[in-house]
Amino acid sequence: MEILSNLAEGLGALMAPVPLLVILAGVCVGILGGAMPGISPSMAVALLLPFTFGMSPAMGLVMLCAIYLAANYGGSVTAVMINTPGTPSAVVTAFDGYPLTRNGKAGTALGISLIASVVGGFVGIAILVLFSAPLARFALKFWPAEYFALAILGLSTIASLGGGRWLESFIAVLLGLLLNTIGLDPLSGVSRYTFDVLRLYDGFSFIPVLIGLFALSEVFSGIESGEIGHPPAAPDKERSPWPSLRDYMKLKFSMLRAGVLGTVIGIFPGAGGTIASFIAYDVEKRLSKNPAEFGQGAPAGVAAAEASNSASVGGALVPLLTLGIPGSSSAAVLIGALMIHNLQPGPELFTKHPEIVNTLFSSLLVANVFILALGLLGARLWIKAALIPKRLLYPLIFAFSFIGSYAVRSSVFDVGVCLVFGLVGWLLSRAKFPVSPVVLGMILGTMIEKNLRATLMMGGFSLFVQRPLSLTLLLLALASVAVPALRERRAARKGIL
Amino acid sequence: MKRIIAVLCIASLAVLGASAAFAAYPEKPIRVVNYVGPGGLMDVTSRKFVSIAKKFTDATFVVENREGAGGLVGMQAVLEQPADGYTVFAATTSNIAKVLTSKKDVDEFIWGFEWIAMLMKDPECLIAAKDSPLNTWEAVFKEAQEKKGAQLWTGPAAGGNDHLMAMKVWEKSGMSAKWIPYNTGPEAMMALLSGQGAVYVGNPADIGGREGFTIVAIARKERSPKFPDAPTFTELGIQGLEDEAMWRGFAMRKGSPEEAMAWWEDLLKKVAADPEWREFLEKDGIDVVDYGRPEFTAQIKKDIEDSTHYLKQYGLIK
Repeated sequence: MEILSNLAEGLGALMAPVPLLVILAGVCVGILGGAMPGISPSMAVALLLPFTFGMSPAMGLVMLCAIYLAANYGGSVTAVMINTPGTPSAVVTAFDGYPLTRNGKAGTALGISLIASVVGGFVGIAILVLFSAPLARFALKFWPAEYFALAILGLSTIASLGGGRWLESFIAVLLGLLLNTIGLDPLSGVSRYTFDVLRLYDGFSFIPVLIGLFALSEVFSGIESGEIGHPPAAPDKERSPWPSLRDYMKLKFSMLRAGVLGTVIGIFPGAGGTIASFIAYDVEKRLSKNPAEFGQGAPAGVAAAEASNSASVGGALVPLLTLGIPGSSSAAVLIGALMIHNLQPGPELFTKHPEIVNTLFSSLLVANVFILALGLLGARLWIKAALIPKRLLYPLIFAFSFIGSYAVRSSVFDVGVCLVFGLVGWLLSRAKFPVSPVVLGMILGTMIEKNLRATLMMGGFSLFVQRPLSLTLLLLALASVAVPALRERRAARKGIL
Repeated sequence: MKRIIAVLCIASLAVLGASAAFAAYPEKPIRVVNYVGPGGLMDVTSRKFVSIAKKFTDATFVVENREGAGGLVGMQAVLEQPADGYTVFAATTSNIAKVLTSKKDVDEFIWGFEWIAMLMKDPECLIAAKDSPLNTWEAVFKEAQEKKGAQLWTGPAAGGNDHLMAMKVWEKSGMSAKWIPYNTGPEAMMALLSGQGAVYVGNPADIGGREGFTIVAIARKERSPKFPDAPTFTELGIQGLEDEAMWRGFAMRKGSPEEAMAWWEDLLKKVAADPEWREFLEKDGIDVVDYGRPEFTAQIKKDIEDSTHYLKQYGLIK
């Protein structure tokens, strides 16, 4: 009850023109930033950080959190419409969102990604407000052994990503893992495969690789197939209907499950929204009655991906507010914002400045409502993206890919990286290799290597089995690979008999 | 994107700076290049410095972020600019260690700069979990002896400033332990809280606002007025750790005009005396200094010597 009255108090403080405008501005910037390939949520937050220096601490934080939340939704728009994830966590949204658009169901894809984002966002905020203390204690149970096991569990999702193409998926994920070895060794700082190129010290920047693999490769394939001249399939209102309330209700459990998963995984620094969306997608596919639909345009796939990555925002704020430790790179920028206002992130914030925390919680709720409203308004506009003739769209994607890649570190080198990975992605998809396992390998590679080696330094391989949580996660990972494989074998044997 | 920020900043600051005085330096905007992202420690510090400096000068500052390769990208970006005093590098202790561990040319990456203004000394300290049995130096030391080198210490990157501090403590106290590096300081603190290690090496500000931590030893001559309960190493009977700190400061390309360097030294003296600046740093237990070229250069020399010695001893460089 106290929580509710605190929230009400916070909401009261927000119901004035200035705070509402601040949230609205944050949501607008967030959606646009998220939709721009090359601007990840953490960059969108960082970009606007200097503007908050002149605001009151509460308003500054409110705006940055609104951007953070909205950017996680914004990434899905371009993922769905042009197969270009605007943010790393929207990679999974593209798996089913883009096929839906190609089948003329852009309305369905946009509608579900919006509603799932909003539902996921609410789930994340609710868990943050109600359970942040016990969740923070749970987060402390995670040692490198558990982080390693979590990453392995994430990796095991390739078993269902490749859609039956086991060998190709396996090779693709290995490619991702190998690419990760470039750069400074995460534990000893020794440089590996950098050839003394300064820009390679941190390995490949993730965003240019992402843009190359998804956006540019799509353009190359389009050029190759000669699609350019053809008029696009017009998704008019009739053929691209907005989902009905019943469609959404069918997905309610998917959204809730993905929301909870996203929040919980979002708590862990270094894991975050991207891994959450891969795992939530995998879970939904396994629970689905027609798993074959996934990857071809399954609404539940879009819902799972979006609900989990939006929910991870709430999760990432749990350790920030309870322990003073950021759960994601965006949350790390929020710490900078707190510091510039002479506020200490951490439990002291609750005791010394409860009004700021209450305002923050309530503002997340308001921001979520704004995302819903702006998303509904914007959808009419975004759906037109499918109408843009390819001969205009392709140069646009090209231009945005280059700008986006350059923007990450103001580096021309990254533009080259984007181009090279565009070619790699194109070659991979020509050879019928799935591209997403490469991304998964790149996300998880460092996490796996670092935590494996840290665990070995701490006490050797036995730690993985001695620690119950790590053992459970590893067994889950094993089962998630073994069960489908065994089932397939049994089915094959039956077929022979 | 950073260009966009830069342009926006210039545009907004140009309005403020329109009444700029007719001094010879600075007659155009000064770029302050950071090697961390917006919101990073040095970024916050440079922005605060710039905002306070505006009380004393009409000069226009543009804070930029050039991240990458642990600061080497930012350093190189400054070294590629003309030595005219209009591009300043916002440096911290970790830049020195980074140049050494990545085997870059010291003459180019360190002595290619003139070290003009050192702003502060953030004392290094050992932090433990309050509820752990190892919450005093004696307990930590005793366990380390029993474990014969298997005790775990947590902190950020290997070869960084905090790791160096750990090596110094091990050598001076005659113990040994293992360093487990984490992505960031806060992650290493979370690891400490979850019982993964015995000690975290960092700075007093790290425990501010966070519950459950205590400082077991601080590398200062006297106790910190902000953290009076934390004993110094000298009190604990360990000599040679009276002045170990993470510093932050500004550097300019070698060969920059004397006038520009002197202007910065003078500006620092004014900012260092400003109450708002002192409050900003001192609330975190950071010591405000106003070192000009001679003292800052001496500090850099000591850092290079120390880093080389310990990195060699523990096999991080040859």
